[in-house]
Amino acid sequence: MENSKLGQEMKPVDVKKIKEMLNLKKGKMKRYLSHCAHCSLCAESCFLYMAHHKDPQYMPAYKAIHSLGTLYKKKGKVDRKLLTKMKGIVWRNCVLCGRCYCPIGIHIPSMITFARSILRSQEVYPQPDEVSAESWL
Amino acid sequence: MIVCERKPFEEIKEMMKGIRKVLNVGCGGCTSICMAGGQREVGILNEELQNAFKQDGASFHVDGFTIERQCNADFFQELDVIASSYEALLSMACGAGVQFLADRYPQKPVFPALNTVFVGVDRDIGWFEESCRTCRECVLGETAGICPVTRCAKSLFNGPCGGTAQEGKCEVSKDTPCAWFEIYKRLKDQNRLENILKVKPAREWRNQTQGTLVQEAYKKRYAK
Repeated sequence: MENSKLGQEMKPVDVKKIKEMLNLKKGKMKRYLSHCAHCSLCAESCFLYMAHHKDPQYMPAYKAIHSLGTLYKKKGKVDRKLLTKMKGIVWRNCVLCGRCYCPIGIHIPSMITFARSILRSQEVYPQPDEVSAESWL
Repeated sequence: MIVCERKPFEEIKEMMKGIRKVLNVGCGGCTSICMAGGQREVGILNEELQNAFKQDGASFHVDGFTIERQCNADFFQELDVIASSYEALLSMACGAGVQFLADRYPQKPVFPALNTVFVGVDRDIGWFEESCRTCRECVLGETAGICPVTRCAKSLFNGPCGGTAQEGKCEVSKDTPCAWFEIYKRLKDQNRLENILKVKPAREWRNQTQGTLVQEAYKKRYAK
């Protein structure tokens, strides 16, 4: 379960590990993903969405679907490029303030947290020497 | 942001003596941002510890796991699954995070790997400056946005004192600006100098018990 060994940034993606992690919470997370009605009610509860002139990339549902949703859809078979793109979604576009509201009770922060954990297991997380957070996307 | 720094390595090593299997828990919040206790720092410390105990010929194993925040129960789920297989936990969070971790796993020894230094701002990458003592009686509105509690050596509410040296430096060091001199200059620029003449009553220092805050909108929800 270790997620913090050094110098693994350039190692190939450990798909087996991602699959194992995805399977651990498969029931709950897939239920969350399938129950999303795309009503977009979560959007206006997100201060980042509002601050970015309602850019759809900042909609909580978008963030969960395009990170964790993609990981499930691809059954964990992802490359580092895609993981890096997800890094932008789950770190730059979300501060995990936990204020997103879903009328059917989907807990979006737990989905983003889980996606972050999976990324961390592959040594994908924000680095202090990154030129700009914008470069993630 | 809460700013922390890593404890001296020997102090951490001393705490780990006699423990054979430990989980070093990183924090993805403030301590990641201040480069003291994020996933990267967890990896660095683990390697150092592993090497040091190997050199001593001691049986020691350390793993790392970083959760998004150690000050919020919502982020502990994954840690719950793995924490039980370790003898002790080492936390790379601030003091609040360490206590939250210890409350969560009361049967396990929890050790802090960091010292919580202050609440501060980022001056540049890796450069942080203390800016708030969380004194619960903010006077920044009257002091032109300069905190006398944090920046005055005596935390004076009514200043300056007689120790202001030439060119507005504090008597404690010629490199330390006098907070009240800075306040004076800024208030003068803002044409608000009358503020400095107001005598502020003494601060309620005795009220230093553990703080709890429930925002107005949530008072009904948590009412006992």
